[in-house]
Amino acid sequence: MAESLVWLVPLLPWLAAGWIGIGWLLGRNRGEAGERGTARVASGTALLALLILLVLDVQALWTGAAPGQVVLGQWLASGEYQVLVSFALDGYALLVATLVAFIGLLVIRFSVNYLHREAGFQRFFMILSLFTGAMLLIVLAGNAALAFVGWELAGVSSYLLIAYAYQRPVATINATRAFLSNRIGDAGFMLGLFLCLHLLGTLEWDGLARGAGELGQLSAALVAAGFLLAAFAKSAQVPFAPWIARALEGPTPSSALFYGALMVHAGVYLVIRLEPLLMQSPVLLALLVLVGGLTALYGFLGGLVQTDVKSVLMFSTSAQVGLMFLACGLGWFELAAWHLVLHAAWRAFQFLSAPALMHLMHRPTRPVPAWLRGRRWLHTAALQRFWLDPLANWLLVRPTQALARDVRAFDEHVVNRMVGLPASISLVSSLAQWEQRKQLKGGVLDGDTGDVGRARGAAGHLMEWIASGLQWFEERLVLRGGEQGLQSLIQRLGTYLTEVERLLSHPRYLLLVILATFVVIL
Amino acid sequence: MGILSLLLLLPLLGAILIALLPRGRQRLIRGLALVASGATGLLAWSLLGRFQTGTAGLQFAEWVEWNPRLGSAYSVGLDGFSFPMVLLATLLCFIALLASSSIRERVKGYYALMLLLESAMLGVFMAQDWSLFYVFWELTLIPLLFLIGRWGGARRQQAALNFVLYTMGGSVFMLIGLLVAFDATPGHSFAMTDLATAGRLLPEHTQVLIFLGLLVGFGVKMPIFPLHGWLPLAHVEAPSPVSILLSGILLKMGAYGLIRAADMLPAAVMALQGLLAALALFSLIYGGLLAWRQTDLKRMIAYSSVSHMGVVLLGIAALNTAGLTGAMMQMVAHGLVAGSLFLLIGLLYERTHTRDINHYSSLVQTTPRFAFFTVLAFIGAVGMPGTAGFVAELHALIGGFERWGWLMLLLSLGVLISAAYAIRTVGRLFTGPVRSQMREVQDLRPAEMLSAGVLSAGILLLGVFPSSTLNLMGASVAQLSALFAAH
Repeated sequence: MAESLVWLVPLLPWLAAGWIGIGWLLGRNRGEAGERGTARVASGTALLALLILLVLDVQALWTGAAPGQVVLGQWLASGEYQVLVSFALDGYALLVATLVAFIGLLVIRFSVNYLHREAGFQRFFMILSLFTGAMLLIVLAGNAALAFVGWELAGVSSYLLIAYAYQRPVATINATRAFLSNRIGDAGFMLGLFLCLHLLGTLEWDGLARGAGELGQLSAALVAAGFLLAAFAKSAQVPFAPWIARALEGPTPSSALFYGALMVHAGVYLVIRLEPLLMQSPVLLALLVLVGGLTALYGFLGGLVQTDVKSVLMFSTSAQVGLMFLACGLGWFELAAWHLVLHAAWRAFQFLSAPALMHLMHRPTRPVPAWLRGRRWLHTAALQRFWLDPLANWLLVRPTQALARDVRAFDEHVVNRMVGLPASISLVSSLAQWEQRKQLKGGVLDGDTGDVGRARGAAGHLMEWIASGLQWFEERLVLRGGEQGLQSLIQRLGTYLTEVERLLSHPRYLLLVILATFVVIL
Repeated sequence: MGILSLLLLLPLLGAILIALLPRGRQRLIRGLALVASGATGLLAWSLLGRFQTGTAGLQFAEWVEWNPRLGSAYSVGLDGFSFPMVLLATLLCFIALLASSSIRERVKGYYALMLLLESAMLGVFMAQDWSLFYVFWELTLIPLLFLIGRWGGARRQQAALNFVLYTMGGSVFMLIGLLVAFDATPGHSFAMTDLATAGRLLPEHTQVLIFLGLLVGFGVKMPIFPLHGWLPLAHVEAPSPVSILLSGILLKMGAYGLIRAADMLPAAVMALQGLLAALALFSLIYGGLLAWRQTDLKRMIAYSSVSHMGVVLLGIAALNTAGLTGAMMQMVAHGLVAGSLFLLIGLLYERTHTRDINHYSSLVQTTPRFAFFTVLAFIGAVGMPGTAGFVAELHALIGGFERWGWLMLLLSLGVLISAAYAIRTVGRLFTGPVRSQMREVQDLRPAEMLSAGVLSAGILLLGVFPSSTLNLMGASVAQLSALFAAH
């Protein structure tokens, strides 16, 4: 009964987001007067979602069994492939979802005071609701496609929240950087989706678990690799780790929600979901151990040398999530799941109390431990955050930018010229420029053709060239030949005839003609 | 007296009455001319209800023996080819007369000649006897010679002489062709139906010879590529109303004659099909490119006429239903478009006294109504969907594609070129920086707007609802194309 209402859980926060957005557009909830209604809608829907989940939990506990996979309908179908609207309501999903909804509600409540009289109050709550819904969908989705919808929406809302103070260039740059790092993972997710459909014919989590046994080692590794890439990116594992530091740009409650408590765990959640697939592929398990271990080290060492509260928390989160990956890699998926839940709850508390932490401190922060200070190179590396950001710049960002510059230069100097588009510098942007240019050319005089018959671009030049050839032909042969040729021909004929006429008027020629006539007749 | 004879006599009567009026009564003369032309138009358009679209045969036919020894007769009638042309001719004549208000000297002669010209043009389209056709064909020359030569621009004498020489030269070939055909037929009759039945039985090389003669005659008028030398000068130098008639109707006489010739000499047309298509495609691109290069607005429209008549020739050369429909449709569409363009440019010239495109700028601010109708006419010239030109070009394209396949890319190229000069011209005339000389230009007056509006409405109506016109010509086109399908 209650499980047929599960679709409301992610939808309710989205409805709140839509309500707030439309209200803003209509000018209903702007300013301080609108804060109350906005907060009420956002927290009310989050509460309602939580209640539905709690009912489901109680029902599951009462009957002693979770509802499992619930199919509510078909989303889309193409050929033999179909994507269902399904929800995975097993114990694991229900537990995490309840936690997500609960933390979401807490953060929303916390933000009501924290963002009071901020300029983007309504915007913040809209995005927060959007994110809560997205996160709930990731957890509750019964198949990979629906989870991907939530996955993407979570990425988008994190982008919007990091760029919350979009007037500051740093905020927008960081937001873009974080979003692009996430997109690398999204590409992996899409690859996973495609391979799932291709190899297994289904995207349902339970179908995946059933089909995993029949897949070969290589196929299972291929399918899982795509999802793993997505999980690494979302959970900020080692090569992607720096984006999370940039994400601190957003307001504190959003940091708590996204990077402290919820979104970083989405990757772990996905990995645990894929347990049957991963168990098929020892290579990927080893990869999990490696990446998880490296991230744990990175977080641990980096955290030791940080000097501000949020950064320390961030690095420590990275380290903990790395440990979860490590546990998964070693096959302890259940341990990782417990770790996830406990860590999320604890971290949410820590982040939310971070702004007030300074008031609670009684002794100065601990200095960097002696063994780290002693090892210069390690200390430097930790301070520099292991140069991951510059490395990414050097490997990806700069080459892409250089390529873009080259392509643009090619476009401007070759393609535009060939097509005949004016290059950006030659555009006339104002009337004054136009006049000036006209004066430079000496203006348009009588008989001057202006630029009629002129064209730009390769095709234009060809046309110009052919047209001028035809014009020459027309002027020379058709017009002049036609006019003067015809007339001069007639005039010449006329002169000849006059001459003949004149000769005939002489008696001797007349006589000659008459004689000739006689000769012919005879 | 039959209704077609009445149609022929009405303008003639008007011309005679005007000739009898005293010289000074300008308003009366103009009014009388308008009444005569308007009555002719009403009469012609009233036939629309009585014209039976289902049959390909002659309707409203009249036959009176003329010269029994030669086998010639006064024979007039209408079918699907001639009726749309008659309608177009009466409409454009009326509009040309409406647009003649700028003619202020020798008004009497001007209007009389215009009405005489209308009568002669209607005769060409209605004649069902080749000798009568030839008489009317030559009759159009006389008023035109005077109209261009007396009321034209600076080089009017040369233009008029050139025009007459070219047309007469072509007519000589046409006459010889007709005489050979007449001679080769056993019945010794000039009636179109008789000559057609006899001509179809002639051996191919005789047919080709006759057809070549006719092709030169009609090709001058149409005009086809090497024979178009008279056109730019005549169009530019003629007064604007005469330009409307020249490009709106006179050019169609050539194409109309060619269709009649094709009916008479099918084997020859089949044999020369490739030549016709090559000439058509070349004219199309040649005219377009030259139009693109012109700075003189009237000259540009003149060359664009060469380009558009190339589409007509291409449609005729395709010799199938789609192609012939396209040719007929393009004749109507070009009549409306070229008429509209010459009308508007003529009115603009009256106000600014320059035809150089470089002298114009930003007219949309001072003359929005002008801009609206001109842009509409140019869009029609390009053949945008929703205008009559599109229906025509699409049919010609389909017909040509059935015959020659991908060669029709050249037709598309021609359309592209026409878009290039049309857009360029629109941009030049109406946009750009404001010029002081262009501030005082007066917008269209109500009467002028009426004539421009009628033509524009025609362009749009035929584009959106082409079926009425297609029905009008459908039966005749089907009959003619069946003749070639048999070959």
